[in-house]
Amino acid sequence: MLYHIFHSTQFSYQQWVSFSHNLIRLKPRDTPFQTVIDFSLSIEPDAAELESYTDYFGNHLHHVLIREPHHQLKVSAQTCIAMDIQAIQQNKLIADYAKEVSYSQVIQALKASTPDVIDAKQFCMPSQFLKTTDPLLRDYVSHSFLAERSVYESVQEFMGRIYNDFQFVSGFSDVNTPVEIVFEARKGVCQDFAHIAISALRSLGLAARYVSGYIETLPPAGEVKLFGADASHAWFSVFIPGFGWFDFDPTNNVIPYDQHIVLGYGRDYADIAPMQGVVLGSGRSDVSVTVDVTREEIQSQSQTQS
Amino acid sequence: MIFENYTRSSYDEMFNEDGTIREHWKALADNLDNLGIQQLNAKQKEIDWRLEDNGVTYNVYDDPNGTSRPWHLDPIPLILESSDWERIEAGMRQRAALLNLLFKDIYGEQKVLKQNIVPSEVIFGHSGFLREAHGLYQHLNHPLMIVAADLARGPDGKMWVIHDRVQSPSGLGYAIENRLTMNSAVQELYSNISIRRLYAFYEDLKSMLTKLGANTKSEPLNVLLTPGPHNETYFEHAYLSSFLGLTLVQGQDLLAKGGAIWLKSLKGLRRVDAILRRLDESYCDPLELRSDSKLGVSGLVQAVRKQGITMANPLGCGVLENLGLHPFMPELAHFFLNEELILPQIASWWCGQSKECEYVLENIPTLIIKAIDRSGNESGTYVGKRLSLDEQEQLRVKIVANPYMFVGQEEVQFATAPSLVEGEIKPRHVVIRSFSIIKDEEYEVMPGALVRVGSNDDSLIVSGQRGGSSKDLWILGESGPIAPNNAYKPKATFENSLENIPSLRAENLFWLGRYLMRCIMSARMIRITLKSLANATRYDSQGNLRAQEILCDTLSHLSMTYPGFLGEGDEKVTDPVKEIWSVIAQGDRIGSLSQALNMLSNANTSTKNLLPLEAWRIFERLMREWNDYAKDTLPSQRTMIAGLDSLLVHLMAYKALIEDSLFLEQGLILYEIGGGLERSQLLITKSRAMLTAVYEPFTEYEILETLLGSSESLNAYRAHYRASIDLPHVSEFMLLDSQFPKSLISEIARLLELLPKLPKFKSDIYLSRYEEPLFEAFSFLRLSRIDSLCALAPDSVVRENMDMLLASISDKLIVASDELSKTYFAHYDE
Repeated sequence: MLYHIFHSTQFSYQQWVSFSHNLIRLKPRDTPFQTVIDFSLSIEPDAAELESYTDYFGNHLHHVLIREPHHQLKVSAQTCIAMDIQAIQQNKLIADYAKEVSYSQVIQALKASTPDVIDAKQFCMPSQFLKTTDPLLRDYVSHSFLAERSVYESVQEFMGRIYNDFQFVSGFSDVNTPVEIVFEARKGVCQDFAHIAISALRSLGLAARYVSGYIETLPPAGEVKLFGADASHAWFSVFIPGFGWFDFDPTNNVIPYDQHIVLGYGRDYADIAPMQGVVLGSGRSDVSVTVDVTREEIQSQSQTQS
Repeated sequence: MIFENYTRSSYDEMFNEDGTIREHWKALADNLDNLGIQQLNAKQKEIDWRLEDNGVTYNVYDDPNGTSRPWHLDPIPLILESSDWERIEAGMRQRAALLNLLFKDIYGEQKVLKQNIVPSEVIFGHSGFLREAHGLYQHLNHPLMIVAADLARGPDGKMWVIHDRVQSPSGLGYAIENRLTMNSAVQELYSNISIRRLYAFYEDLKSMLTKLGANTKSEPLNVLLTPGPHNETYFEHAYLSSFLGLTLVQGQDLLAKGGAIWLKSLKGLRRVDAILRRLDESYCDPLELRSDSKLGVSGLVQAVRKQGITMANPLGCGVLENLGLHPFMPELAHFFLNEELILPQIASWWCGQSKECEYVLENIPTLIIKAIDRSGNESGTYVGKRLSLDEQEQLRVKIVANPYMFVGQEEVQFATAPSLVEGEIKPRHVVIRSFSIIKDEEYEVMPGALVRVGSNDDSLIVSGQRGGSSKDLWILGESGPIAPNNAYKPKATFENSLENIPSLRAENLFWLGRYLMRCIMSARMIRITLKSLANATRYDSQGNLRAQEILCDTLSHLSMTYPGFLGEGDEKVTDPVKEIWSVIAQGDRIGSLSQALNMLSNANTSTKNLLPLEAWRIFERLMREWNDYAKDTLPSQRTMIAGLDSLLVHLMAYKALIEDSLFLEQGLILYEIGGGLERSQLLITKSRAMLTAVYEPFTEYEILETLLGSSESLNAYRAHYRASIDLPHVSEFMLLDSQFPKSLISEIARLLELLPKLPKFKSDIYLSRYEEPLFEAFSFLRLSRIDSLCALAPDSVVRENMDMLLASISDKLIVASDELSKTYFAHYDE
């Protein structure tokens, strides 16, 4: 099965910008469940320099220098990605085995020094946006975790609690809103819910990472889907030693299956922001984003939000 | 005996346990005795004077007495015998080699993590671990080029390592300045003592830097990247750059493109080969590192990634300044070098391991607890025995929350050395900052060091930020090559030619000129307006009141403190004196004199190392007096005027000093261009506000006299015209008379003379983009006739020709200023 993803970001500046360095993370990474077949990036005005490389976590990055004076910068990425349904199904079976592992077993296993555990440990630690965990959030999460209970099922229950206790409200928060504020207000967007979950799980000693990506959305029955009606999405992933990483989407209360496409992952949003730029000069800028995710043949139907 | 009353409490560098003087100190003890305590104190005064005269300072953050503090040097050096030094030297060399291999491994294969020699939290949990730098250094044998460590002698008489310093270690400049000052001020103390000279080491440092940049051209352009004049060790940055032959730059001086770093200079962009970095790495690139940094260069990491720039030290090395590594150093020495660690360290327990953590938690009162990382979320040093029970508990909670962030260290009584303190010789704790650099595939250790002296007798913390003094380190032995004459004198580097002036400096000089003129002209206009208000009741005539209104309006135009006196309705000014005081003193009001002075103060700070000492002093006094003056809520008019008088005297003296001591090639030309543009703009503003409208004759006379007076042109006018003051003559004089140097046309003509002296874009045939608008402005004025400018359309109360001419000239000046900025300061189009 194939997905076609279109992701376009347009910045409007009040003043002329004549020189800007930008970091762009719009090319999805390959995972055991997805392979990028085709990718193209278009930038207006033309980039004077365009370099691609992968970061420490293995995500794709483009470094772009723009030297043409402009008021607007438009960056559009088009991706065609193949989903390996068989691998996804297999992983579901592996998850069934991982469900046998208890919370205390995970904590014990994280003390090992196998390469995958060493790598996972950096996701146990504070990161730029998640420096400390609110003690109230720690209390909140700990209700779902018991030493001998399955860690997978505990996380799943915790995901469900976020889904039920928090309201999806766009515009309440932005990328810089601290997790404590979101937690207190019990409202936010997908990015906030992922951060809440990661911060909470780390306070329990678990390794949790931030996943940025896309989700396939379908219009209500009988309606035609409008182009660009999608948005980029975020969820989180938890490490169970011996079994690997497992994804959870608290915004929709689902275990990602074949409707979630991974762009990349990091310790939190700061590691994986899709666009970062340094523009000289003062004045505000406005951003508008258009995302579209299309499956080559639509098979299932469900209502999702991102 | 000069040491009669010396009482030591711990291991002392100079005295044995039994109170006898150690063999290697005897010659110095004799020399000190011969000198006597009075002479020694006199020497201290001479040292203080020499250091101050050379401008040696150390900036202290949050110091109420200003930020710049004189550097202190103790006349009594610290002496090490050669056998002791050989061991330290071997230990430092080993540590440098070890840290270099560890650095390459952390940013490469990470074998130490995979093989569990270092727990991953020690690296991943440290804010100095930059993921962006991973994989960047595999092609280099010795990415770590300068390695420093703080050493102190433990109770066992051995020199111990306290900290590693590799980020951007300071001290190399202060260490030479200390030695040079000792050489000149206390020659008597050297008698019968042979010490190692520093010259050869500094030559090697220079050639190391030259080689760094030797990849691209025969004469490499190497720079020292500083956070700027507010940094605590800025003196050292300026000092080192000058004698190492490096161009001193700030982040804004540099630009990244094409996988390389470029210096913006007046001539254009010049490729930079290597950077000696004194800016903390997290601030180096707002694109990939801290996005809130205004000190860095956007795209710098990418340039390193493309191998277009070399940096000493490389980005990411901050992770090595890591107390969490100390417990694992012996093991790392085995792993990388198959050697025993030579220099001992303080016994440390890393709390990331459960047994060690328990030990620390149980023994807080007897330990010193430190965060592994100075800049992380947790920082600071906790001296267990000084913590209250509550504080101990708070610390315990912090440790339990993030155990891997902390180490516990044994509390050690470090050695003291005799130091001159308030006229007496007393024991003080000393810490040695030792440096090594890479030379031909091996590390070379400086045969000397910066020695820092604790500020009180039980001080466990020796830090420049907390006051304290410093010492020269004398290592006994063959002295080594003598420095040729002038080796340490600042070189007249290529930087001193106009073409090579970094753009940021040029820009600062440009603004220095603009703000200085703005302050002078505003202060004069305010003063004259206040005087006129003070005379308000003198003649008691309507015409006079109207003139005052116009002066007040002019003031609002000139300072652009709108609405000000132009306000209507609710915004109408009811108390003119109060409004004027706000325009003078309200620092947060845009356009106020206080604000202009603050901008001038910034420009002054940024250009400080170009200006003569007297200029700084005058400026410091001026700002001090001003801050006192401006904090008044509403002083009397007389006090207001007196304050402005005093300000103007200082500003004029400051101006004269700048113009006297700077050469055109050092950048005075930019100051003059800035000043000329500002004077022209302000003259236009005044003329539009005062000359273009039609008034009653009496009012007009008042206004014209004030215009001439506020421009210090009244006498010149009288000498020239010998006639009464009337509008056509005054307008002609102030705008069109090229014989009069303060007229608008003369100002613009002078700018047209100055501009061709700037480097780059010179053409014998065509005007440059910034010359064109000025040339047009000049032509407009040259082609104008005063009767046409003063002509009035029927029923009109405004001299439209004059107003339109002045408005269009003002626009041209703005274009010229923008074009100059683009060409010489921004360089984005190159």
